[in-house]
Amino acid sequence: MSIAERPVEDKMSKPGSDWRGRLLDRAPFLVACLMLALIVGIYGSLQSGVFSLDELNLDTAAAMTLMLAATGQTIVLLRGGIDLSIGGMISLGTVIAATRFTDDPATVALWVLVILGLGLVIGALNGLLISLLKLQPFLVTLATWSILNGAAMMILPTDGGSVPGWWVGFASAQLLGLTSPVWMLLALLVFWAWFRATRVGIAIQATGSNEKSAFLSGVSITRVNVVTYGLSGLFAAGAALYLTTQTGAGSPTIGKDYILPSVAAAVIGGVSLFGGRGHLAGTLIGAFVLTLIGNLVFVMHVSSYWQPVASGVILLLSVLASSVAEKAARGRVQ
Amino acid sequence: MDLVTVTGLSKRYGGIVALSDATFSARAGEVHALLGENGAGKSTFIQILSGAVQHDAGAIMVDGRDYRPANPDGAQARGIAAVFQELSLIPDLTVEQNIWFRREPLTPLRTVRRAELRRRTLALLEKYDFPPLRPDQELRRLTLAERQIVEIAKGLAKEPRILILDEATSALPAREAEWLLKLTRQLAAEGRLVIFISHRMAEVRAIADRLTIFRNGRTVAAHEAGAVSDEEIVTQMIGRHLDRLYPERVATATDRIALKVTGLSSGSRLSGVDFALREGEVLGVGGLQGHGQRELFQALFGATRASGRLELWGKPASIGNPRQALTGRDGIALVPEDRRGQGLLLTKSVRENLTLSVIGRFSRRGFLSRQKEAELVREMVGFLRIKADTPEQAAGTLSGGNQQKVIFGKMLLTEARVLLLYDPTRGVDVGTKGEIFQLMRDLAAKGYAILFHSSDMPELVHVADRVLVMRNGRVAATLEGERISEAEILRAAMLQREAA
Repeated sequence: MSIAERPVEDKMSKPGSDWRGRLLDRAPFLVACLMLALIVGIYGSLQSGVFSLDELNLDTAAAMTLMLAATGQTIVLLRGGIDLSIGGMISLGTVIAATRFTDDPATVALWVLVILGLGLVIGALNGLLISLLKLQPFLVTLATWSILNGAAMMILPTDGGSVPGWWVGFASAQLLGLTSPVWMLLALLVFWAWFRATRVGIAIQATGSNEKSAFLSGVSITRVNVVTYGLSGLFAAGAALYLTTQTGAGSPTIGKDYILPSVAAAVIGGVSLFGGRGHLAGTLIGAFVLTLIGNLVFVMHVSSYWQPVASGVILLLSVLASSVAEKAARGRVQ
Repeated sequence: MDLVTVTGLSKRYGGIVALSDATFSARAGEVHALLGENGAGKSTFIQILSGAVQHDAGAIMVDGRDYRPANPDGAQARGIAAVFQELSLIPDLTVEQNIWFRREPLTPLRTVRRAELRRRTLALLEKYDFPPLRPDQELRRLTLAERQIVEIAKGLAKEPRILILDEATSALPAREAEWLLKLTRQLAAEGRLVIFISHRMAEVRAIADRLTIFRNGRTVAAHEAGAVSDEEIVTQMIGRHLDRLYPERVATATDRIALKVTGLSSGSRLSGVDFALREGEVLGVGGLQGHGQRELFQALFGATRASGRLELWGKPASIGNPRQALTGRDGIALVPEDRRGQGLLLTKSVRENLTLSVIGRFSRRGFLSRQKEAELVREMVGFLRIKADTPEQAAGTLSGGNQQKVIFGKMLLTEARVLLLYDPTRGVDVGTKGEIFQLMRDLAAKGYAILFHSSDMPELVHVADRVLVMRNGRVAATLEGERISEAEILRAAMLQREAA
C-alpha cells in the first residue's frame, strides 16, 4: 500500500534542544563501543599484554581484510543496498595475485592496478545491472558472486600459488611504532571523513534514505548505484590484496568468509540495513569486535566453534539495541 | 507577454490518459491557481513542468523559448522550482543539507563548506521571514508541517522565476498557512510567477490573480479571479457526466444496524469517526484524497491498529486482523484497492482464487470435496458473469473488470454480509463498471451492508444511499437524498473553514 499519502498533521514542534533524540540516534554506535570495551576488558583480564601497542598492531592486522571489505559494504548499506559479490571479488583477487605476482615490483604494481581496476569495473557493472534491469541488489550481487567464484576456480582450482616475500612483509612494516595496517585504519577514517562530506557521499546517503525524494531532487539513481557498487568492488579488491599479505597465497573459496561478517560488522557498528544511516567508525569497531571474539574464544580455552555462536549473539544484541533506540526515537517524534 | 504558454499538452500512463490537450498560460508577477478534482490532471501538469515526468505531446514555451526538461535539474536550469506535495526531502539529512541538497557550497577538497552552508541557510530563512527552524536538525525529527516549510525553503533557495506550490498550505497550521499566503503575494510582487494549487477555495480567493480549471485531464476554463463566482468554479470542476452507467437506486435499507462505528481513530490520519451502516444500504465514503478514507477501510478490516468501538449486527466486535475479520456470517469482507497485489493470486486459477479463503467448507476430515467446490464455483461464475474460458484459467489472464469480479466472488463466498469496497471500479472498463454497480445494488437488496469508497465522485453520487464526506480524518458531513451531489460533497470537503 502506498505510503505517499499524507497524514493530516499540522503541528510545529516546541523550541529547545533535542539532546535525547541525538543520543538515541547514536545509541547503536555507543552500544558497539561498549561491547568492544567489554570484550577488550575480559580479554585483558585473561591475557597479559593486551593493553599494548603490539596488541593493537596485531589485532588490526588480523582485522584489516574484514575492515576493507566492510568499508565497501558500509557504503552499499548506506545506499540501502547489499553487496554479496565481494566474496567472489576477494577470491578472484587473491588467485590473480598468487598466480601473477613475481619478484619484480613493477610487475606486482601492474597487477595490483589490474586487480583494483577489476574490482571497480565489476562493482560498477553490479550497479549498472541493478539500475538498468531494476533488479534486487541481493539477486544481482548473488549472481556476480557466483560468476566471480567460478572465474577464481578456473584460475586456481585449489588454494596455492604464492606472492613474493617482500609483499608479505608489507603488513609488518612499521612507522612511528605503528604497523601499516594501523596506518591503513587511520587512512580509512580520513577517507570516510572526506567522502561523507562530498556531494557524491551525501547523494549516496540521501538515496539510501529516500530514493524517491533523491530522484525528485535531481539525483541520478543510476550514477549513484554505479559509484556505490564500484567503490564496494574497489574495496573488496583492496581486501583481496591485503589478504594475500596475510596468507602468502591465493584461495578460490576464501572470499565467502567475508560476505556476512562484512554486513555484520556494519550492523554491529550501527549502520542501518535500510539505508541512510551509519558511519564507518562504527563498522570498524564492529570489525574489531568480531575479530577479538576469536581471540577471546582462544584464550578461554573453549572449542573454537564458540566463535560463530558468540558472533551471532553479539549481532542479535546489536540489532536489538538499534531497534529499541529506533522505537524510542519514533515514539518521541509522534 | 506570457511567461509560460502551454498548448496541446498530453500524457498517458499505459492505457490511462492523465492529461489530454491541456492549455495554460500565465504571466510573470501573478499568482495563478490550478483547480480541479482529484485525478483531474493538475498533478501530472505540474510534474511535467517541474521535470519529474516528460510529456508525450504538446509544447511548453517559457520566455518564448521551447521548454522540455529531462529531469528536475533541467527545470531548475530554466528557473522553475516545485514545492512538491509528495515531499522531495531526505529524512536522514539535516534541514540545511536538505535545503541546499546537490547545490552545497564546496571547499577546494570538494567537501561541503559547513559554515557557508549555515550562513546561507540563516540568510534565506531571514529573508523570507520563515517560521523558526533549526538548521542542524535532522529532517525525520520534524513534524509534517515543519517538513513542508523546509520543502518551501528548498524551492525558494533556487531563486526560481516560477515557483510551483502543490497544496503547500494543507499541511500547515493556521499561522504558518497565513505566512505562506503572504509570502506568495510577496513573491508575485517581486515579479515571479507562482503557480498555486489548493483545495481551499478561501485561499484561492484570497491570493489568486487568475485561475485555470482542470477536469478529466483537460483544461476546461481559465478566468481572471475577480470575474468568476465560487458556484461557477465548482460547476466547471464537475462538468456534466453521463448517467446511463448507473443503475436505478431503489431504497432497500432496513432499520437494522449492520455496522456501528464509534470514535474510530488510528494514528494521525483517523481521528474519531462515527457512523452507522444499515442492512441493505450502500453507504458512500467521499471527500478529497488523503483525508482518512484509506485508513478508515484499513482500520475496519483490521489491517492497521486502531482504537474505537465497533458493533457488528448489534454485538460488540474487536477486529484484530484480516483473517479474524473474514470469519463467518457476522464478518467483514474487503475488496482491496490494489487487486493485483492484495486481492488476487494471478498465477492461480479462477477456481482456486474463489475458494481460497473458504477451503475449509469443502473438506471433510482433511479431504477436499471437489464436487462441492466445483458446484459453488460454477454458481459464482454464473452469478457474477465472469468471462473466463474455464474456471481453471489463470486469474492473471482475465481483463481488469473480470479480475475484480473474481475478487467479489471470493468475498461473497466468505458469507460475510458487511462488505467494504475500496475503489472497486478503479481501472475497470465502463461496461463492467455498470455491472459492478448493478451487482452492488443487487447485493444491497439481498440484505448486504456495503461501505463504498470511490475516487470518482459521480460514482458515489449515483450509487450510494448516503455519503459520508471525510475531512481531516473525521466525518465532516453526511449527505442524504437530494443533498447527495458532487457540489455538496466538494463543498463539505473544501469550502468550510478548517479548525486550526
